[in-house]
Amino acid sequence: MRRPHNRAARLRALGVALAFPLVGACGITARIEPYKQTDAVIAQGEHVVVLARKQHATHEAEEDFVQCVSDGLADGKHGLDVASSKDFEDKMYPWFEPSTAPLSTEDLSALLQRPGVLDQVRETGVRYVVWLDGSTDRVASGGGITCAAGVGGAGCMGLAWWEDDSRYDATVWDIQDVESEGTISADYKGRSVMPAIIIPIPLITRPQTHACRGLADQLRQFLTEPGGYEAERERRPDVG
Amino acid sequence: MGVIIPDELYNFIYTEDIPDQSLWTIALGDANVAMLGPLFKGMFRETTDVDSVPQANDTTLDGVIEPKLDKFEFDVPVGERDEFVEVWMQYQITVYEPGGGTVLQWPVSGYGKSELVKDPEDAVQRAAIVAMREAGATIATKFNQQPQIKDWLEGKGYGTPVTVGQAAPGDTSSAAPAQ
Repeated sequence: MRRPHNRAARLRALGVALAFPLVGACGITARIEPYKQTDAVIAQGEHVVVLARKQHATHEAEEDFVQCVSDGLADGKHGLDVASSKDFEDKMYPWFEPSTAPLSTEDLSALLQRPGVLDQVRETGVRYVVWLDGSTDRVASGGGITCAAGVGGAGCMGLAWWEDDSRYDATVWDIQDVESEGTISADYKGRSVMPAIIIPIPLITRPQTHACRGLADQLRQFLTEPGGYEAERERRPDVG
Repeated sequence: MGVIIPDELYNFIYTEDIPDQSLWTIALGDANVAMLGPLFKGMFRETTDVDSVPQANDTTLDGVIEPKLDKFEFDVPVGERDEFVEVWMQYQITVYEPGGGTVLQWPVSGYGKSELVKDPEDAVQRAAIVAMREAGATIATKFNQQPQIKDWLEGKGYGTPVTVGQAAPGDTSSAAPAQ
């Protein structure tokens, strides 16, 4: 006659044996490509604002992602002075709406020549605008989980997985000098797995959260180091 | 400039019964007034609230402007693939001479979309605010580019008009489905 604790021990062992490859199947792959065109850095008292590009019909950077990047830039002992995106858009109304926002530094130059607009910008205290473009999308999914319940108990069996891709571009403009400082491209892919052995065990990766952190860190370096990424690479030759 | 805000704009309520969803009731009256009042104040040197045209007895007026909200549409996603709530609205901007003659009838559209995260009511409200801001931005930036307005201002002896920054519209719209 089998003893219950032997069956439980075998199930535990099976779970552990399955867990290792499943954990290995999850994870984040990340690629960040910064490109800084000038040596300008943010000075004391100057503000930066993070805005979403809203010209696309099919996608735009999510509001909470924009807020996450703003918060990331402002956090910590090396936090920057980050202006509220909404306050900036309100103060600059109607010039930073989806249909009126400048799409290039040439458009920005033309906008700043309109009477009163330069004064509006100065009143905000913002020197740098970070335009965020991109989105997080589910690019693949598969598998399935079946659950059943009966007199003796209930449980689930199966395996579901999905892959999310967070791709964003951050373009930094210097409003004072009316020029583009450069861009940072970020691509974070994450695969999540949910095996179900009696109960579902979610192993979830969050590429959007990692993308936010990665972009915020890179933007901070971008705005505070004259060489931006290059200065960091000199300090840490392993970064590449 | 005299400004007429008609009662139907103050009291604008849009109702739509979406099959398999809910009866949506969207009240935009307060939001309309909150947006258009400051917008017109920023566009013209001086504005005066008036009830109707003609206002031929008021010699201080160069003209009268009247906005109406002609069309409102919205779409709430029903499938997993749809992520955005969309709102589209169209105002009719009419400019009159103080004596009642029509200078301009100008349809102005605004489109807004908002990600559907949790609450469809919040998403509809946010999308409606974006659409109203868009319409307001078009009115503020394109008004003096309308050929009829250019000719009208020339006839009044005003030089090239300028477009400066306007006050941002308030976000007082409310959207609630009746269950």
